[in-house]
Amino acid sequence: MLTAFDDTAHRYRGRVYSFARYLLSNREEAEDVTQEVLLRLWRHQDGVEEERLGSWLLRVTRNACYDLLRRRRSDATQPGMAASLDDEAAQEPASAEPDPQAQAEAADFRRRLLSALDELGEPYKSIIILREVQGLAHREIGEALGIPEVTVRVHLHRGRKKLREQLREANP
Amino acid sequence: MNRIDDDLTCYDALELIEPFVDGDLEGAEAARLRSHLAGCHACAAELALAERIQRELRALPQLDCPPEIVERVRREGAQVLPFRSPVRPRGAGLPFRIAAAAALLALALWGGALFIRSQQRPRQPSAAEVARATQEARYALAYLGKVSRQASFDVRDDVLARRVVLPAAQSVSHTIGLSLDAAPEKPAPARDEQH
Repeated sequence: MLTAFDDTAHRYRGRVYSFARYLLSNREEAEDVTQEVLLRLWRHQDGVEEERLGSWLLRVTRNACYDLLRRRRSDATQPGMAASLDDEAAQEPASAEPDPQAQAEAADFRRRLLSALDELGEPYKSIIILREVQGLAHREIGEALGIPEVTVRVHLHRGRKKLREQLREANP
Repeated sequence: MNRIDDDLTCYDALELIEPFVDGDLEGAEAARLRSHLAGCHACAAELALAERIQRELRALPQLDCPPEIVERVRREGAQVLPFRSPVRPRGAGLPFRIAAAAALLALALWGGALFIRSQQRPRQPSAAEVARATQEARYALAYLGKVSRQASFDVRDDVLARRVVLPAAQSVSHTIGLSLDAAPEKPAPARDEQH
């Protein structure tokens, strides 16, 4: 029966991990959350319908991340647990520009964008990650977060507007 | 804050920028915003920033899960219980059950009709009648098989009634020479009302 798990895990592990990674901005925590979510899938295999598996996994992932963020806030003394920039995403080439100055500017913009995204509140952050980074449809996001599609659109617009305001303030 | 003579203030324009970037604005509203942007450099710069933010977000990499995480889950999970594929939706078995019930009903009607006929008339049905009834029953069973294979799709009761129960019932009624009005039909207007 290992093949069935391999198949399911192969289909969804990247989405779960990437969502957690951008939500938490921390590699180790994202790995822990992914492991927890996949284990929960294993335990609740009889209660999850195939059609709703994707949205179920994202909802469980988001809840696990929320729990972790709450613990992080209540344990402010823990070193290195403050919101940190996701290094791997920041180090990906941000621009194909041959001009070194343009490359540096693009890299700086991406760092500031990731920092602004990190500071963004919920549900804006989740919705922006799911829509813009992961490319999910509004309907899929609504199913995952348990909100109507029109609310997804409104939150998406508000969230991106907040990012715009933060980036404008950082570099008027 | 600028105010252009297109009735749209910069405040209004800034509120519309995100829906505009997503293509969610109606034609007339989008045209008003475009008109405003053409004369307002500050708002045009905001639009450029909004578009860049969206572009950059969409260019962020999908970060892949280390394979050892899945391996760890597999080891830990296997100690508890074996993994099975996620269940199909609860309603998926319903069309199959409906189809099975309809087929049973059709077959019972067919068998019953043959029995009644054998009781009413001493003679055996002709070869043509048996062939026709058999063909109708085969058609019903073939459709049942098709429905069963597609049991995960939504099959409406009226479709089953129209495609399985009615043809079988009509075949039976034709075979025994009875009138079985299985489906209510629109009544024909009375003759005296037509004049």
